[in-house]
Amino acid sequence: MLRRFAISLALSLLARPVAARTRPHYGGALRVETEGDPLQRPNGIARRLVFDGLTTIDAAGTVRPALAAEWASADADHRWQFRLRPGVHFHDGTLLTSTNAVAALNVACPSSCPWSAVHALGAWLVFTGDAPMPNLPVLLAGDEFLLALTVTADGRIPSVYIGTGPFQVASPAKDLLQLTANENCWQGRPFVDTLEMRAHRAIHDQWLDLSVGRTDLAEVPAEMMRPAQQQRLTVIASPPAELLALQESETGALANPLLRAAIAAAVDRSALSNVIFQKQGEVTAALLPQQLTGYAFLFPTDRDLNKTHELRGGLTVPSLTLSVEGDGAMQLAAQRIALNLRETGFNVQVGAPANGRPSDLTLRILPLAGGSPAAVLEALLRSAGQPQPAIADASPASLYKAEREALDRHTLVPLLDLPRAYATGPRLRDLHLDAGGAPDLADASLEDAP
Amino acid sequence: MSLRQKLLLLFSLTVAAAVAAVAWTVLVRIRLVFEQRDQQETALFVSQFQREFQHRSAEVAAAVERLAASEHARSMAFEIVQSGDAAPYLTEAQTMAQDAQLDFLEILGPDGNVVSSAQWPARFGYPEPATAATGQPAFLKREELPDGTSALGLFAVRAIRGAEPALRLVGGKRLDQSLLAELPVVTDMTVALYSETAQQGTADQTASATQSFDPQRLAGANGDVPGAAKYHSLIEAAQRTGQQTSDILYLTARREDSVNATAIPLKNAAGQVMAVLTVAISREGLVEAQEHIRAIAYGVASGGIVLAIVISLWIAARVSRPIEELARAAEDVAGGNWETRVPEQGHDEVSVLARSFNHMTEQLASQREQLVQTERVAAWRELARRLAHELKNPLFPLQLTVENLVRARSLPAEEFDEVFRESTATLGMEIANLKTIIGRFSDFSKMPKPELERIDAKDILERVRGLYETAGAKPDASIRYEMQIAITPMPLMADPELLHRALSNLVLNAMDAMPNGGTLTLAAKPAGDKIELRVSDTGEGLTPEECQRLFTPYYTTKQHGTGLGLAIVQSVIADHGGTITVESGKGSGATFIITLPRADA
Repeated sequence: MLRRFAISLALSLLARPVAARTRPHYGGALRVETEGDPLQRPNGIARRLVFDGLTTIDAAGTVRPALAAEWASADADHRWQFRLRPGVHFHDGTLLTSTNAVAALNVACPSSCPWSAVHALGAWLVFTGDAPMPNLPVLLAGDEFLLALTVTADGRIPSVYIGTGPFQVASPAKDLLQLTANENCWQGRPFVDTLEMRAHRAIHDQWLDLSVGRTDLAEVPAEMMRPAQQQRLTVIASPPAELLALQESETGALANPLLRAAIAAAVDRSALSNVIFQKQGEVTAALLPQQLTGYAFLFPTDRDLNKTHELRGGLTVPSLTLSVEGDGAMQLAAQRIALNLRETGFNVQVGAPANGRPSDLTLRILPLAGGSPAAVLEALLRSAGQPQPAIADASPASLYKAEREALDRHTLVPLLDLPRAYATGPRLRDLHLDAGGAPDLADASLEDAP
Repeated sequence: MSLRQKLLLLFSLTVAAAVAAVAWTVLVRIRLVFEQRDQQETALFVSQFQREFQHRSAEVAAAVERLAASEHARSMAFEIVQSGDAAPYLTEAQTMAQDAQLDFLEILGPDGNVVSSAQWPARFGYPEPATAATGQPAFLKREELPDGTSALGLFAVRAIRGAEPALRLVGGKRLDQSLLAELPVVTDMTVALYSETAQQGTADQTASATQSFDPQRLAGANGDVPGAAKYHSLIEAAQRTGQQTSDILYLTARREDSVNATAIPLKNAAGQVMAVLTVAISREGLVEAQEHIRAIAYGVASGGIVLAIVISLWIAARVSRPIEELARAAEDVAGGNWETRVPEQGHDEVSVLARSFNHMTEQLASQREQLVQTERVAAWRELARRLAHELKNPLFPLQLTVENLVRARSLPAEEFDEVFRESTATLGMEIANLKTIIGRFSDFSKMPKPELERIDAKDILERVRGLYETAGAKPDASIRYEMQIAITPMPLMADPELLHRALSNLVLNAMDAMPNGGTLTLAAKPAGDKIELRVSDTGEGLTPEECQRLFTPYYTTKQHGTGLGLAIVQSVIADHGGTITVESGKGSGATFIITLPRADA
């Protein structure tokens, strides 16, 4: 008996640490390093930690209530009402009201908004639009519509970012952003006490810091996932969360749609995917990923030089400019595209135009976040500044037709679907990536937290 | 231009020409010396450049060789060959180029396509033609760059050892201003490299030869080259011919800003001109020396000309003075002063000329005296002849009458008386005739001196007309008189009687010239400070010979004239300070023109 008790005691003592490791601990300082500014769009990972939107999208892509507790549409989706979650306070204690929510939305979206007007009606926010807004709840979950306090209770303009998120800005230094846990967060307190975000760190420096334990989370660009794995870093990657696309101007030298179509056919996507992005991207000629729609394969991805020459015909094209949003692989990809185009007779210079006029071509990353495919498409086109196609219904046929219609304008050339990835340190646990591929640090905890 | 001025000009030009010839010779010599020096410096620089070029070529070849033999490159090649996947090595060339301090490096796969490119990372998968130069010495090559430009470089191609099939490395170093900075450049020498950029979208390196000249692509060790545009023709000539070319380039309007430039073409293995190295040596020193010498020449020439003027003035005075005296003496002789003489000094040609002149004037005076005596004798002979002729006519009747009287003594008294009466009448008449003839000769020899008084030409002409048109004379009814008198006063200082006699003589001659009648015109008009009187007839006129001799004493065209009338008229007019001329043509009458000085108002 005694022996059995002793064995049981020993087993229970051994089992306690195991049980302790499976349950997240509160406290500790989580260190993160980023290449860009964590509070700036589009990929600032601190934005969703400091601010909340009216809605949010879960990992499965479903729209969930956030600062809005419920919503309803009327008038064939021309009017939407969102009821604010009661009792939510900003970090400075200001109560979230429909009035300051409207002010925050007007600051977040001063023009070209999905809606025509928004106004407060008691605890409700009322959105009205000239056109139907079937995907407005999804769009409001987007990064650009997060609510930040614009005016404090005593009428001052805040000197730091103030939101309702799980972390609040403690020290907004240029290269070191310190966030502390919001004890009164409506979602509940995050596990870690503080977040130290070191900005403007080169990827290799981030990895070096990660390997020596100076950071718990480092970024891994898609093209560097293979070297990261070769370096035996723990990499967590999202499904395709971004679209690498070549945007063509409808004015200037490329006003002729045939020329735009010729350029679209001249780009060698496989070289971009296999070499520059080290086989981490999925070649695509569709706006929406294959796993989201199931029909992306219908859009041909192969380079077609004959088609390019046929479309271009004898047209003389002046020198084109190709600007890039990003550096590293993005710059290399732009150079490669310029090289592809030079092969077909287009004289393309990579870089911003000298005289301040808009670029003829822009290589950019567009987010693929959202709920339904239609919402993703709408958000994608909105972020690219493209007109919204009319989607008759939620059927794949209607979606395909809308996407085909958007692509036939030859102003946006999809190239690759790319994942977002991060390398984690040994202390970090329970880290998940959200639908947009951003790390959900509010639910992460530290292994050695007290 | 006077003789003295001509001599002055001649001396000045001679001095200036001599100075100019000396200055030109010195300038040419200096230019040759400078050019020789420039050529030597250029040749030295070219030699040093070739050594530096060869040194760099060896450096590049060695660096690529070391890379190809490195363990890192060999393991990379092994993995690429084994896996068939070159994508992981996309940026490998940049790392390797940095380590090897190469400006260009490309890793070529077994198929000759670019696996990784340091200078143009996006160029992976494209073929690299330089593969054929594997193992060869370094060569010149123009490398295209992502920004559409190209750069000239020294390249070497080496196979990575151990890998089969072989991978290759194409490495190179940029050939630009940095090379120029390492070259030893003397003072006043500017070296620059002209490198064309390849046409965008093409890989044709020969396109450089057809591109238009761009001065901005001519770069020196320290950046821009002054007056780069002026190198256009020189660089084009070097590109076109592939040969070293030299010329003098004027960079600005100032002559000092000129250079003695040489363009040296840099060729690739195929002999194509890839770039042009220019060596320019400033001509400022040469031009300044030339300017200095030119200034000295101008100064010497100016001084020489002044000196020449002084000397030539002295020499010209010495040379020209006797000639000027000769000229003045000649003018005096021409003016009638035959007694003029010039001094005879020295034994030169001018003194010979002076002696000859003096001798000539002496001869002229002597001959004139002889002529006067001859004319005087001739005049006396003529006078005797005329006198004999005139006296012979009345003497013959006198002789006949006397002889008739002698024969009549034998006649009866009544007949004798009649003969006597007739003879005495004849004798009286002929004797009167003789007296008249002798009186005329006496009048000619004793012309009275005019007693001048103020008269009007119109009055004297009216008086003559009145004498011959009215009954006081013997007017011929067939002669019509016409007066052409100016209305303005025509005052004369003249002896009215002598002038009246002269005009009357002309009127009588005119009447004699018109035996069948005609028009006799008397005219008077002012002619400047003179008064012109005209007596015209419409007779048969005179021959030119007659006109010429008309005023000669004792010359007459009449049957019974003494030839003294017009001579007397000329004498009277001359005594009044005037002149008389005649205008006539055969059959068109004659006009005697008298010009007399106008009396003061």
